[in-house]
Amino acid sequence: MFKFFRDGFYRDYIILILVTIIVGAAVSSGVAWAVDSYFGDTIQDVIGDNGEYDLILHVREASKEAALRELERIADQQFKGAVINQTISVAGQANFLFGFPQEAKTEDTFSRLPSIFNGVPGLSSYTVIVEPSVLVRGVHPSVSQTLQQRFSQLDGVDFAFKDGKNMLVVLESAEHSKAVMNEIREILKEYQVLEVRFPIGFEVDVQKTAHAVMEVLKEQAKSAKLSNVSSAEYGEELDALMKTLVEMRHFLLSYASKVKITLNHNSNLVVGEQIIVQGMSEQAPIKGESIAPDHVVIEVLDVQGNQAQGMIVSGSIAEAGEVLVQAGYKYHSDDLVGEPVGEVQLENERYRLNYAISESLRLLEELDELSVEAAVAVERADAVLTTFQEALMQLEVLQVQMRQLNEGLAENGAQSTSEQLIISLFLNGLLKNIAKSGSEGAAEYGLDSLENLDVASMRSSLGSISEQISNVQEIDVQAIINQIVDIRDSLPELDDEEIGKSVRLVDNYIGGQVIPGERIQILVENATIDEEKVEPLIREQLDNQYLNTYTISVGTVNPDTRTEVFRILKEVRATIAGILSIVFVGVFLMLDHASIFSTLKWIRANKKASKNRLVRYFNPVMILGVIVGTALLTATYTLSRAAIPYVSMSTVLIIGAVLGGLIGMFSEKFSPVHADEIMAGLSLGLSNVQIMHEIVIPASRPGLLNLLNRTKQRF
Amino acid sequence: MLKIKGLKKQYGKQIAIDGVDLEVKRGETIVIMGPSGCGKSTTIRCINRLTEPDAGEILLDGQSVLSLKDEELRRFRRTIGFVFQQFNLIARLTVLDNVMFHLVLAGIPRAEAEARAKQALAKVGLTGSEKKYPSALSGGEQQRVGIARALVSNPQLMLWDEPTASLDPILVGEVLEVMEELVQTTKTTSIIVTHEVGFALKAADRIVLMDRGRIVESGAPQVIFNDPQSEIGKKYQRLIAC
Ligand SMILES: Nc1ncnc2c1ncn2[C@@H]1O[C@H](COP(=O)(O)OP(=O)(O)OP(=O)(O)O)[C@@H](O)[C@H]1O
Ligand SMILES: [Mg+2]
Repeated sequence: MFKFFRDGFYRDYIILILVTIIVGAAVSSGVAWAVDSYFGDTIQDVIGDNGEYDLILHVREASKEAALRELERIADQQFKGAVINQTISVAGQANFLFGFPQEAKTEDTFSRLPSIFNGVPGLSSYTVIVEPSVLVRGVHPSVSQTLQQRFSQLDGVDFAFKDGKNMLVVLESAEHSKAVMNEIREILKEYQVLEVRFPIGFEVDVQKTAHAVMEVLKEQAKSAKLSNVSSAEYGEELDALMKTLVEMRHFLLSYASKVKITLNHNSNLVVGEQIIVQGMSEQAPIKGESIAPDHVVIEVLDVQGNQAQGMIVSGSIAEAGEVLVQAGYKYHSDDLVGEPVGEVQLENERYRLNYAISESLRLLEELDELSVEAAVAVERADAVLTTFQEALMQLEVLQVQMRQLNEGLAENGAQSTSEQLIISLFLNGLLKNIAKSGSEGAAEYGLDSLENLDVASMRSSLGSISEQISNVQEIDVQAIINQIVDIRDSLPELDDEEIGKSVRLVDNYIGGQVIPGERIQILVENATIDEEKVEPLIREQLDNQYLNTYTISVGTVNPDTRTEVFRILKEVRATIAGILSIVFVGVFLMLDHASIFSTLKWIRANKKASKNRLVRYFNPVMILGVIVGTALLTATYTLSRAAIPYVSMSTVLIIGAVLGGLIGMFSEKFSPVHADEIMAGLSLGLSNVQIMHEIVIPASRPGLLNLLNRTKQRF
Repeated sequence: MLKIKGLKKQYGKQIAIDGVDLEVKRGETIVIMGPSGCGKSTTIRCINRLTEPDAGEILLDGQSVLSLKDEELRRFRRTIGFVFQQFNLIARLTVLDNVMFHLVLAGIPRAEAEARAKQALAKVGLTGSEKKYPSALSGGEQQRVGIARALVSNPQLMLWDEPTASLDPILVGEVLEVMEELVQTTKTTSIIVTHEVGFALKAADRIVLMDRGRIVESGAPQVIFNDPQSEIGKKYQRLIAC
């Protein structure tokens, strides 16, 4: 085979390989560079030149005119010389680039960002792109103050400021970037936040528990400076959301029907299991039979001894006014009623609440009426009293007159005895009549008791009653009623099933999340604690097998946005170059080398079979293919500075070898040999190199080989 | 002039020729006949080493052909004309280029090569077709280009491997005419493999019959066809009788 190259074709072949490599590298890196610079320019357009802008303000599209006016006002009044530029809009958000004038690029300015741009209409958020800078993400609040100070003092650092959970370290110049990043990494390593998490449902006393945890840690690292920073992150957005969700869960549950289960002594029920009760159904569940659609399904939320609690996840007891006590059965997903588990007590909270409100409303209405009636009654009583008093006075006068009359009669002798009798009868009857008109019961008292009545005190108590009644009337009962009606009507019309679903949703969301009060964070300085090693110790100390420990970094270093974007671009460029190298080498192996390989194979086939077993087993053309493929790809890949993520150089070597080997093996498929033409060439006394130049290559596919051959070819 | 001794060639297990001995005198026209697969092509291909024999000896004017190396071999091949059954023209070259290109590559000035090529084309009756491409020609014309290409270097020996076998019967005549003309006028030493019995009778000085990789009989055409000794010879005799 090598004989074939001996008469001069090897020179052509080496030139071909070199040219392929150079062209391949040039094309691969050229295309990659073009893509790179296209994106680079686009990015330049989007975020401006290096250091030109400090912020991207994201503003609602609708408010962009007003926002621009406000930004111009801010620039004009506070930052003379600031640059503002509107850049692309994305998803209904207009974006403004804002660059502070050089002298305003200070820590003070950047720490006041929220207040400076507070008044920009439609502002939804902003991104700090100040350059050159180093971005430290997720700075733990417990150390942010310290870190800000320490970072500011580093060589090459202008100042550092907090931007939410991130800290931006602004550099004096871009050259410092690497050194500062390294130093920041070193500083961050000095701090460790060890977190102890408790599963949902564990309420811990943060102070006491943290103290206990620190005792354990102290044992482990004597020199460590430990502080409880559990609350440092409270009030952060996520936690606030979690708190809200937990509250919502409580609220929803308190609103759901109360389900208490008293377990039979032999039934064991675990949290999450479902049980079934009759509910408002006509028909009680029967073990082994399928459940009715109006049976109520309950999910178990908590089990303590033989008492369990649950919530209704399907079905309703809305109409049940009173507490229901029913037998509960296990419910499996096969829709059959299972073993009885115990007695289930169901209480519809909302029904009771509704009932109570309705009752009090009725009461209020009655009270209102009552006060009016009472006022009338008091008035009437007053009038009666007055009449009564007048009558009493007349009665006294009458008594005096009668006494005088009696006395007069007695003085006037016996002949007037019958007259006397008639008169005294008349007087008594009269007296009775007077008493009757004053008060109905008064007659029973007789005249003597009438005299004993304390009319004055009666009158005064009547006065105070009347006063109280008028107080009652002054209260705007109707307003209260309206209010209560409102409350009643605004009770959400959720049924138990919906509440159950909502609670499950909340549970799913908060499942695995940290709930404030259920985790402890300890800041460790001057030491590193292996969280896996202390976990069992803390579990033992707190007597809780379910807690977990984690190490949380106090911040991670990232280059600034632009550097990051350009780093990614560089990666993209290298990847494109890599892929292009592979494609290029594959294509040119196919276009150029396949025809050479086929010719070599044909010539070999026409020679005497080799005695060498190695040569017989390892097709030398395939080996040549492997070598050429490897050489081409390795060189092209390296020269085009390609790098595909997760593809190592040895993988590239293998890809090259496989490509070359495959094309060596199947070369006739890509470039069939014109055997009769070669045969003619041989019979005419042409050399191998002449056969290549005049017969094989001109007839092969157009490629580099074909192109290079143009200078050699004579016909 | 040409002496072949004990020539053997084997393709894997398949024996193509099994000890061929043949002597050819200058100016002689030898026709090799024999059934398909008996080793005719292999024998004549070995002469200019398009096929490398496994064993044996080939002497041309006393010189060992099999010991020729690279450039010597090529120079030797340029003195041997070879006509292929399938014409084996270079498809991308014109008729003229097909006939002259190897002369140019061998170092002959273009003008001279062109003149010689035109002469050769005239000899085979193709004047006027110089600018055509092989695909535009009939089979007979293509084969005549092939003949011109072999002739143009004034070979000392012409080897013909069934030059008419892949032609229409109608076109066979024109090629045979050219062949006869050449054999009769130029007196170039020729070894012709063909199944054309008529041509053999007319043109051959000697007929060589092959069977299963060996030469079974050889002699003047009259002798071979009138009094064949071999089975193959008898078959040919019967063929002529009908
Ligand atoms: N390249 C090859 N590889 C394998 N076997 C071959 C090859 N060339 C020829 N043979 C075999 O060698 C034997 C002789 O072949 P050769 O071509 O010499 O016969 P031939 O007499 O020319 O036949 P034909 O009249 O068909 O042309 C045949 O059996 C053929 O199958
Ligand atoms: Mg043959």
